[in-house]
Amino acid sequence: MKGPVISPGYARLLIIIGLLVLWEVGARVDGDPLFMSPPSDVAVALVGFLSDTAVLDAIRTTLYELVTAFLLAIVVGLPLGLVIGLQRFARGSFYPIVLLLYAIPQATILPLVILAFGIGPPSKIAFGFTHAVFPIIVTIVAGVQNMNPTLLTAARSMGASRFQVFVNIVLPHMVPAFFTGMRLAMTADLIGVLLAELYVSQAGVGHYTRLFTESFQPAKLFAIVAALAAIAVCLNETFRRAERHMSRWHD
Amino acid sequence: MTEANGTVITVAGVSQVFGAAGDPRRVVALDNASLVVERGELLCLIGPSGCGKSTLLNLIGGLQTPSTGEVSIDGEKVRGPSPKKVAYMFQESALFPWRTVIDNVKLGLAFQGVAKGERDQRADEALNAVGLRDFANHYPAQLSGGMKQRAQLARALGLQTDILLMDEPFAALDEQTRMVMGEDLSVLLARTGKTIIFVTHSLVEAVFLADRVAVFSARPGRIKEVISVAEGHPRNRSFMTSDKLSRLRNQLYELLHDEIRKTLGESR
Amino acid sequence: MKERRWIYHLVQLAFVGALLGLWQFVTANGMVSPILLPSLSSSWDEFVDLLWTGSYLPDLEVTLYELVVAFAIAATLGCMVGYLTSRTRYSVRVFDPLFAGIFSIPTILLFPLYVLFFGLGAGSKIAIGSTIAFFPVVLNTIAGFANVDQLYIRAARAMGASGPQMFWSVMLPAAFPVVITGLRLGLLLAFLSILGSETIASLAGLGHRIVTYAESMDPAKMFAYIFFAVIMAVVLSTAVNYLEARVKRGHG
Repeated sequence: MKGPVISPGYARLLIIIGLLVLWEVGARVDGDPLFMSPPSDVAVALVGFLSDTAVLDAIRTTLYELVTAFLLAIVVGLPLGLVIGLQRFARGSFYPIVLLLYAIPQATILPLVILAFGIGPPSKIAFGFTHAVFPIIVTIVAGVQNMNPTLLTAARSMGASRFQVFVNIVLPHMVPAFFTGMRLAMTADLIGVLLAELYVSQAGVGHYTRLFTESFQPAKLFAIVAALAAIAVCLNETFRRAERHMSRWHD
Repeated sequence: MTEANGTVITVAGVSQVFGAAGDPRRVVALDNASLVVERGELLCLIGPSGCGKSTLLNLIGGLQTPSTGEVSIDGEKVRGPSPKKVAYMFQESALFPWRTVIDNVKLGLAFQGVAKGERDQRADEALNAVGLRDFANHYPAQLSGGMKQRAQLARALGLQTDILLMDEPFAALDEQTRMVMGEDLSVLLARTGKTIIFVTHSLVEAVFLADRVAVFSARPGRIKEVISVAEGHPRNRSFMTSDKLSRLRNQLYELLHDEIRKTLGESR
Repeated sequence: MKERRWIYHLVQLAFVGALLGLWQFVTANGMVSPILLPSLSSSWDEFVDLLWTGSYLPDLEVTLYELVVAFAIAATLGCMVGYLTSRTRYSVRVFDPLFAGIFSIPTILLFPLYVLFFGLGAGSKIAIGSTIAFFPVVLNTIAGFANVDQLYIRAARAMGASGPQMFWSVMLPAAFPVVITGLRLGLLLAFLSILGSETIASLAGLGHRIVTYAESMDPAKMFAYIFFAVIMAVVLSTAVNYLEARVKRGHG
């Protein structure tokens, strides 16, 4: 049986390099500098950002918005998720409402959120929060419902109090679900904050994407998009690894 | 009563090897197997796991080509699937779950190349033969294990081939259903005169059904011995409880026991 | 346990009722600026008016048009690329992680680029919609076709199935449920991203309409359109889920 010549990982790398080369050549030969920029110029612009305090501040602001929204989502979502998951009455009555709210296309309320919280960071945090809180609640509730009831019965039969069962059985069991929820929440948070930034922004990255678009500076626009994409990928990967690490004992 | 009407399948010095010489993962699935199958007989292949019996079946069915040696049917070398001569029946239900039972049979006929007009009639007959006429419009998911295998058999029968290859078709069924299916198969064989090659793990099943039983050794698979059962078809209940069957079963046990131990002893 | 359900519904109704009551109370007593939160009654009036006069039609048309075109592009490309990728184990191992990796990047980031290329019109919305919808379609198509149970393929081969017969009668039906799920996900994602991009930068469409009323300080109309857009989303989602279930059921 013949094996493949190049490992899939290298093949992917080659494909990406190939595409970059194509882009470079295409942009230089035929690209309108108002709309298209070769990757080499984008790289230069990226490096340029490192010494551009204004842009760096914008990225910092956006990260601040991201993190704050994320933490808020955990602070609100985790207890809510636990209560809804563990308390049968709460689950029956309030979970459908949660799901209903989760199903609302949040883009429709973006202008409303801006009206309510203004055009500064608070509205981005609020919008990121509304995106991120639902995955946390939903994954926690699912995690609770997936718990093997035999484990609980076994613990109680050994004389554990309800509090002991909660702390020693329920909470540790929740950890993988919680990490999954965090990964999904971060993804949603990113989308929420980015949407809000792109809509209106004074001091965040949205301000600069608008600026670069309207002043036809494709190199800088590509650069900032690339930077944000890289941040997104890093965050996603970090959370994915954490999730996998935490789920080792789970089947 | 089936008569041996001459040879229909010849397996000559066939080996199946995976991996090159010197490759540490090299596997000799089948080692220099030779066999002659008479027309109208039911031949059982039995042996421990990994002994090559399913491989041999695949080679006869043209789903694999041998590393060395040759398989021929009716004097012609086998190069690929021969849907007009050979029908296949698998252990797991290879019925297409997205089609009803009768559509499954008709699809098999379509693959074989049967004209549209003929398909309905042949499908009907096939389902009748296995007693599933009332379930023609059911989906496989709605059938029990035994019924699924009967439906698969109907599909194979509908193809009206001379040869039927069956790869542990009753393995997924419980023992009681197996016994009944075995009896039915024997009746079918007596009626149609097909040549059947049947792979199984069950010693009793092998003796009950077969005209001859080919016993395989542990990997690398060689045909250790071929036992003749010499009992007419259709086989019935009295044969199941006879001394002859017990004797032959014990003979198989003696032949197989060490081979099975060898297979289990492998630390792979 | 049926009685339990009845109580839950009661609580839910009470909850919603309380919220609506609070809304009316807060706006009636001037506790919140009317620019932010119009009264419940005026919002309702605007909503009814919207439905009655059909003033939603032009914007709904634009949004639906963008959705249909974006989905058509994504579905066609996604299925083709997905099928071709699924043909060898090697190409699956190369491309599947690549597509999955790109999908993990928030696609909305591409929107400024698309606005640069295609302007503020439908083009940029169609571009973002089809980009985002492409991925669930291609990933699910790869999964569907690459994971067809080998048993079916062997059985069909043994019965002498030709190439076209193998594709139409075995592979396609086997892959079908997974592919359909991908299409459903793609459609819904496309809709959400089109709404979002209309909100951010657009000349027409439901998202744009909501922004218009937000900026012109006509919150009652804004709420009416928000409500309408949400209903559209629910209708679309329900319809698509129902279709998927229907199609899968007839599939056996």
